[in-house]
Parts: sequence; C-alpha cells; structure tokens
Amino acid sequence: MIRRVGPALALAFVCLFASSELWAVAPLPAIRWVTEAPPPMVEASGIPPDLLRDLADLGPTDARWARVFPVFAEQGGAGPLPPMAGTWGVNDGNARFTPVFPLARGVRYRGELRLNGEVAAFSLFELPIDTVAATTEVARVFPSASVLPENQLKFYVQFSAPMSRGGVYGHVYLRDAAGRPIDLPFLELDEELWDLAMTRLTLLIDPGRIKRGVKPLQDIGPVFEEGQRYSLTVETGCIDAAGRPLRTAFEKKFSIGAADRTPPDPARWRIHAPAAGTLAPLMVEFDEPLDHALALRMIRVLALGKERRLVAGETALANDEHQWTLTPTQPWPRGNFDLTVERTIEDLAGNNIGKTFDVDLLEQVDRRDEPRSVAVGFEVK
Amino acid sequence: MKTSVFALSLLALGLVAPGARASLTSDMKEGAPSFRAMSQLAFGPEGVLFIADTKAAAITAIATGDTKAASGQVAIKSEAIDEKIAALLGTKADQIIIEDLAVNPISKRAYLSVSRGKGPDAVSVLVRVKADGQPELVSLEKVRFSRAELPDPAADTVVESGKKQQNRRLEAITDIAYVEGKVLVAGLSNEEFASSLRAIPFPFKTVARGTSVEIYHGAHGQFETRAPVRTFVPYKVGKEQQLLAAYTCTPLVQFALDDLKPGVKVKGKTIAEFGNRNRPLDIIVYQQGGKDFLLMANSSRGVIKVAADQITGASSITAKVADTQGLKFEKLDWAGINQLDLLDARHALVVRGAAGKPQSLETLALP
Repeated sequence: MIRRVGPALALAFVCLFASSELWAVAPLPAIRWVTEAPPPMVEASGIPPDLLRDLADLGPTDARWARVFPVFAEQGGAGPLPPMAGTWGVNDGNARFTPVFPLARGVRYRGELRLNGEVAAFSLFELPIDTVAATTEVARVFPSASVLPENQLKFYVQFSAPMSRGGVYGHVYLRDAAGRPIDLPFLELDEELWDLAMTRLTLLIDPGRIKRGVKPLQDIGPVFEEGQRYSLTVETGCIDAAGRPLRTAFEKKFSIGAADRTPPDPARWRIHAPAAGTLAPLMVEFDEPLDHALALRMIRVLALGKERRLVAGETALANDEHQWTLTPTQPWPRGNFDLTVERTIEDLAGNNIGKTFDVDLLEQVDRRDEPRSVAVGFEVK
Repeated sequence: MKTSVFALSLLALGLVAPGARASLTSDMKEGAPSFRAMSQLAFGPEGVLFIADTKAAAITAIATGDTKAASGQVAIKSEAIDEKIAALLGTKADQIIIEDLAVNPISKRAYLSVSRGKGPDAVSVLVRVKADGQPELVSLEKVRFSRAELPDPAADTVVESGKKQQNRRLEAITDIAYVEGKVLVAGLSNEEFASSLRAIPFPFKTVARGTSVEIYHGAHGQFETRAPVRTFVPYKVGKEQQLLAAYTCTPLVQFALDDLKPGVKVKGKTIAEFGNRNRPLDIIVYQQGGKDFLLMANSSRGVIKVAADQITGASSITAKVADTQGLKFEKLDWAGINQLDLLDARHALVVRGAAGKPQSLETLALP
C-alpha cells in the first residue's frame, strides 16, 4: 500500500515501473487529472476489482463515492472540509469524478483514493493565477458636468470591462478640497447597484444627507456644501471580473452650486425639429442636465397618425447631459410628432416631473391619477 | 430573512401540518427553475421557500419537501461556513458571497443562498447545512416550483419598431417575507430613485405580476422621504397585521398590511430612530415570558432588542431628533452579525465574523 507518496507524477512513475517489471500484478492505486479539454475530470485507477464492481452500482451522487474517492478544494483555515460537489462513475476500469463547477484559478485541488479507510493515493492540481497586467479602468463618470447641485443624488461609474461585486464602497471616496474623505457619503447596499453586465456602478448619495431637516443632516452635516470643491475618486483596489485591480485610479473634480428644488418640465425644453426627408437628428435642449440613464431610457418620439408609432433610431446625450438627440433609422416623414417623457425622469437632484425630491408635507401633493408620461408636440416640415 | 411568531404559533397549533388542508404547493409544476442571481430567502408554510432573483426581477417559490418537524432541540454550529461552502463549490472563500440565510420553521434546517463568483458570470446556488455542520447543495434539477415576475416598470403602449435601447435597469431586492397569503418584496432600482414594496398573492397565479405601491414615511421633520426599505418583518398589533420596516438610516416605520394596495399612497408611521451611520440588516420577532420582542441586526450599531409592547400606542416621530428617539431599546454584545434568523422559540441562528475573516454559523440563545 502506498500512502502519501506525493504528487501524481511520482505515482505515475511508480505505476510505470511496477507494470513493466511485473505485468501480471494489478496496477497500483493512482489519481490522474484530465484537464486538457472541458469538462475537467479526475480519474482514479488501480482500484481493486471487487470494490470497483461495488462502485459501478452506485448512483452518480451517492454519498458512498465521496468516502472512497473524494476531491477537495483546499482552504486556508483548519477544520474538516466537505468534498467538492460533482458526479462519479466507472469508465474503462477507472473511477471518474466530474465536478459540478469549473475549476478556479489559484485553488489547490486534491483528489484522494481511499482504500480500507487509508489514503492509498492522492494527487494535487492547481491552475495558475492569471498574471496578465491590469487593463480595466474607469471610462466615464456621470453626471459629466463640473458644477453639480448641492443636493446631487447619484453618480454612475462606467468601467471599461466587467467588475466583481463585494466591498466596492471601500475603494470609492468623495473628498473635500483638502483631500479629506467625506464620512459615509453613499447609501451602502450589500447588493451594490450594478447593471447586468457589471460595467456600471450606481452610487447613491445617502438620502438622509441631502435633505432639509433630516436627522443625519443635523448630526453629521450634508455631504455637499454650496461653493465648495470636491472630488470623486475610484481607487485601483476595485477588482474587475478577472480578479485584477484597476489599471489606474480615477478622479472626477467638481464644484457645488445651489440646491436644485425645481422639478424638470419638458415644456421648458427647446426642440429643434429636423427637416422632412432627412436622417438629421432631432435635437432637444434641456434647461438643466438630466440623469444620464433615465434621459436615455425615458424619452421617446412618437409619430402621430392612425396609430402612435415609436420612431426608431439611436439616442444620445451630449453637452453634459443638457442635450438629447435621436438619429432616426428612416428619413423623417412630414407630420406631427410627440416627444414623450416619463414622469419619473430625474434631474441631477432626483426631482421628477411635477414633484421635487423632498416633498413638504404641508403642501398637498398627490399624483396618483396622473398619466405615466407627459408629451410635448412638434412638427416636421 | 425573518420569521414571525405568527408562523411559529400556527405551527404550534398544528395548523400548517402538510396535507392538513388544500396544499399551497398543489398548483406548482415540476421541473428545474432557472435563476440568474438568488438573493433574499424567506420560508412560508409547508416547507415552501421563496427565493428572490435580483437579476431576473422574479420570486420563485420552491416546495423543498423538507416538511418533517425537527425532533428535539436543534443546535446548528459550523465554523468557517464560508470556507466549507467554498470547498463544496470548488473555489476559494473570497470568491463566494453568502447572500442570505433562512431557517425552515418546520425542520429547523438552515438554508443559504450563495453566489459562486463575484462578476457577471457568477453562479447562484442554494445550500443547506447538514446536522454535522457541513453544507450540501440543494438540487434544483427536479423540484415543484412556481414563479412570479415583478411588475414591469416600463410597459410601452406604443407599437415598437427598430432597435430597442438597451435597458440597464435592475432592481436590487432588499428583503422578502411571506405573510397571510402574500409575498412581500422590498426593492430598490439602480436607476430611478424609488423604493417599492410589493405584495404578490400566493399561490402565484398564472400571470401573477403583483401590485406595486409607493411608500413614504414622515420621518425627519416635515419632509417625506422615499428612502429604500432595507429589511422588514410582519408583526401583528392587536388584530391588525402590520409591517415593521427598517430604513437605511435606521428609522423603524410601521405600516398596516391592508393599506398596501395598488395605486394608493401609503404613509407609514415612524416609531423609532435608532441612530445614524448605520444600516439595518435583519429583523426577527420572538416571544419571551409571554411578551413579544424585536431583534434587529445592524451594520455598525450591533444587535438591538426592542420590547414590542411599546409599538401599540407608540407616538409618531415627526420632529427632528438628536440621535435616538421613540421605542426604547437595549444593545446586545453580539458582535459581527451579518445574517440573522429565528431558529426556534428560544434561539436565533446567525452568520457572524469580522470583514475578511472566516464566517461561522452559530446558534445563540435569544436574549
């Protein structure tokens, strides 16, 4: 019986030597990793025939498999670990284990063959950690403007590649002009507010610290104060989906202007209608910057006719989110159009159409029966 | 996750014994439910586990079949549960996230939703802890289940043509609970600043889209806020079913469940301020000496205990407060609590551990 003789290579050598000299002797127990093509597998050979027959009768996830042929993902700490989840079977006189999940880099795996309660053979396997240099960085931060209202509500941080979740708030800071970090400026959620591709992070300023008369505001002050300069910094400790830090840190500097407590109103926007028969963009100029994500999602153009048809095309924002354009896929026909805007669109301070972010209870505000969107008409000639 | 004494008292009375009445699971179909990102968990009666899926904006109800009552006192303990789960999943402990913990009120077994990986390709798994403290995968290949999608936030009434703008909106589900035939779901969007609390009737109908209400609380002086509900627990005050909701800056707000109707502006009553620089994590309700208590785990204020008899007749906080106000509370010396659920009438189950250190699953006597 061979016990803890070392890695698979040593075992393979022993097996080769043994079989060439004494061909009639049963092969020694050995473990082999088969990782050239997915899915990865672990193979145990040299299992006594009677045991192999018993194993062949077991189901692929029978608990008895793990007593004979467990495969472990080793951890740093002490304590007994469960074997990896997977399926077992018998194939060509060998036992075979296929893990449920793909092998991860930097994890030391250990396959064991246990005969009569003793480890008869084991083999280690590890995929090296990816050492490719960091390439991911912050591509943009919205809002784009360099002057933001005192009651600025959120930031979108756009990364150049997918990121990983967990602990992001430890690497994102708001700093004052002297470089001192602002204490707990963000609403920290364990889930972290990422988009599906995990390339965009939404940072909400703690609403308790941008409101009038709010308790945290009384205790620790507002996040921003008019007339002061600040910076949003994203440090390299943010980890991308490949487990690498950012290539470089990012800083957005800005100053703070007056609080904005005026709800957005499409009636105040300037619509520059294109000429009929052209592919020229429709351009809308807002009287204030709007929330980047919502302005791209909540503004549409409808052609008014027998049926209200959505005008298809590419939308874009420019001029620090002051300007919205729609470049149509088909030339503009003559006629009347509606620019429709969902009421829940927000400006930088989170004010909605017809409703400020913080509502004074002494004023009667109820928008239950209002339509979902408002429309402003224009004509293409 | 949270469990209410209401569910426990039903159990004690034997009212939810499997097969005792029309089953909640009889309309479920058998198959392999798909998940994009399991997050919050909550048990209903009959071993039904509700699993929130943040990326798919859906709630899946699963008949776990785990309906055999625990025999005798259950004490769950598992050191470095994160390392054990990582080992089971073939990865490292720093490459998993324990999303939520829920105890099956019938079997007293602990279930955990876990992400394997932290990037966009992360895989969600459901794990159950065996009597020896080792985790095992709960197979979802062939289970009875039903699914409800959260109401579509932006239904178009116009004819669509051409390329659709890529929708990057997601709704993080911050908590779910089952109470009196409804699954309640609190969520927060990554785009619009709007907190929602939805009530979805269960069993789910074929096209159960649920209803959405906007909720407000009149905390912090005279201004309303739409701040997101972080965690909540159903609680009966007299004969009325109430919800106690904890917000991100830790006011505790009371709502009547009957008020949560579509199209209605619901205003909660702020009954406590537990102080700022803090995030509530979980709330449970339990009984001791014939009295009800709330236990609330927080990010930086530890675990606090509140005598629930103060809720009846509690006055609404409408003025600015210096630090804490309203219901009196006691701070416990339970450090590093990251997940909390009720194990039985006398014990809580927690996942605890400092940041960056191994997390353990422990049974603690209710204070």
